[in-house]
Amino acid sequence: MEKIQYFSHDSGLYILLAILAVFLGLVVFFVSRSGKKEYTGRIVFPVVFMELAFLFFVIISGFSKTKESGVGPEVVPLLWITGIFIFSIILLIQALTGYEKKDPEWGNLKVVFIYILLIIAYLILIQIIGYYFSTALFLIGGMLFLKYNNWKVIISLTAGWLLFSYFIFYRMLYVPLPEGSLITLILG
Amino acid sequence: MDLFSNLLTGFGYLAGIQPLVAIVAGVILGILAGAMPGLSPSMGVALLVPFTYKLSPQISLILLGSIYIAANYGGSITAVTINTPGTPSAVVTAFDGYPLTKKGKPGVGLGTSLVASTVGGFIGTLILIFFSVPLARLAVKLHPAEYFMLAIFGLSTVASLGGRNWAKAFMAAMLGLLINTIGIDPISGVQRFTFGNYRLFDGFALVPALIGLFALSEVFSRLEEYKLEKAVKSKFEKTKWPKFKDYWKLKITILRSSVLGTLIGIFPGAGATIAAFLSYDLAKKSSKEPETFGTGNPEGVAAAEAANSSSVGGALVPLLALGIPGSATTAVLIGALMIHDVNPGPLLFVERPDIVYSLFAALLVANVVMLVLGLWGSKLWIKVTEIPKKVLLPSILAISIIGSFAVHYSFFDVISCVGFGIAGWLLKKYGFPVAPVVLGMVLGGLAETNFRRAVIMGGYKVFFTRPVSVILLILAIASFAVPFLQDRKKKQ
Repeated sequence: MEKIQYFSHDSGLYILLAILAVFLGLVVFFVSRSGKKEYTGRIVFPVVFMELAFLFFVIISGFSKTKESGVGPEVVPLLWITGIFIFSIILLIQALTGYEKKDPEWGNLKVVFIYILLIIAYLILIQIIGYYFSTALFLIGGMLFLKYNNWKVIISLTAGWLLFSYFIFYRMLYVPLPEGSLITLILG
Repeated sequence: MDLFSNLLTGFGYLAGIQPLVAIVAGVILGILAGAMPGLSPSMGVALLVPFTYKLSPQISLILLGSIYIAANYGGSITAVTINTPGTPSAVVTAFDGYPLTKKGKPGVGLGTSLVASTVGGFIGTLILIFFSVPLARLAVKLHPAEYFMLAIFGLSTVASLGGRNWAKAFMAAMLGLLINTIGIDPISGVQRFTFGNYRLFDGFALVPALIGLFALSEVFSRLEEYKLEKAVKSKFEKTKWPKFKDYWKLKITILRSSVLGTLIGIFPGAGATIAAFLSYDLAKKSSKEPETFGTGNPEGVAAAEAANSSSVGGALVPLLALGIPGSATTAVLIGALMIHDVNPGPLLFVERPDIVYSLFAALLVANVVMLVLGLWGSKLWIKVTEIPKKVLLPSILAISIIGSFAVHYSFFDVISCVGFGIAGWLLKKYGFPVAPVVLGMVLGGLAETNFRRAVIMGGYKVFFTRPVSVILLILAIASFAVPFLQDRKKKQ
């Protein structure tokens, strides 16, 4: 148990995460080259869940336990972890025995990834130039990227949303919308 | 007779400009607060509390009660039109409401949700009026073991949410339950799975998680199907609205869900979301066509909405009769009452019947006002579905970002919302329903706290020695088993 505890925090935890990542990579590598390659996703999902459950199980070993009552902080998470293991095995069996359909076809992933990048850029920009400027850029950029070019709608929707955010969230609800480090630096 | 004469006096109090303005304003603000992801009914009520300082206690309570009632309906508007539940309980409304919109029938979803909410709210209020005192006494006598079994009963709905993908539904629920254990343990104070990050001390907030799982995942799915070259035309040329006979067909579902919703609402800590899940599950199990649930069955919308609206009446039972707030919103309400030197509890009915019965009368009137405003507004809500995807998708993202930030003014919530969105998109892609994740997160706290309290008080055997606990356990097992038995019967 003490050996397991080593992996529950600090450097041990990082080592464990690396091991789990390598193991997952190996599973993907071998399954995608096997006769079950059309089920790679169906197999990888339960493996990820089992790894997650194992990670949480190892972390639990580092909890300080309350012996007196018999129901320490580890009891209920252990219950759910056990459930995840059981259902992961069922899902694996379903994927390997043909109960499951083949992996679904992927659609236009390029658009999704570009949009995720847009969101990440938006969140970074919020911290730098504040909520209002970054939201204007995000809305305009987001619509233009999807090939929407009715500028009347683009401008009015962006302005309307910013006004709504300002009056409802900032003025009425006192939500402290981020002002941005750069704007604060310039305007003081 | 006292009750009726007090109620008449309550209605008499409403015969003035100020109470009626308070009801209409409360309903409008409640609908807006409910429809906006990130603004919960409790936040809507809390935000208006400062405006009530100079109002009389009666008018204050009428205004805040009307917001509470209408916010539960408001959540369904964005759930039906853009699959973005405005409130946690509207998650269940989206199961069938959004598929109806996808089929080009947003009017059916919106109309059904409005009528079911109104009837549910009405029935909940009637039960509140007639049975508040004995029901409240019963609810507070429940042992933690019975609360734990209530949570397990709530979790049993997963079996019917999953259908053929039952293992995936259970897996999703387990993930939700495990996510719920992240943070500082409420009993021992031990940090669990926080990785030393103080932002995780309170765990993941529910609202950003559900915005991510429902709204953002849907945006990513739509983007994946998106063809940049093609202009997408709106297919909703003229939507149909349900007729009276369509609503009449749902009478049993609405009635049953309203009663169940009120009863669940009475239990402190249970609330509108659990009520909606349980009622949906019950409606599905009692339906002759359970396979149509999740594909756009108005019965699913009616069950969820009637239950979450009627739970308002239920939640007010322990508040007024015993002075115990059973939900976040009633906790805010109790604070608002105390500001006006009104102490809720058994004596309130004797000392200040004017306050209690004017609230009862106002809640009944608020439901009628909600129906009228909802019918008028539905023509506006439906326009949302006609917005081109190119405009709608970035707008949903912008709403989601501010909605998740507004909960705790936390940027971490925004990042977790996006994370849940990506996870939800991948899970849905591989057939994992995301609703059980939310259910797990909602019920996790109730289940864990009461499980541990019960064991500390009476050991593990306590779950099998208390009659109510055993009854709930049997109901939960039956609820787990019924979908499988129905499936087997169908195959035979």
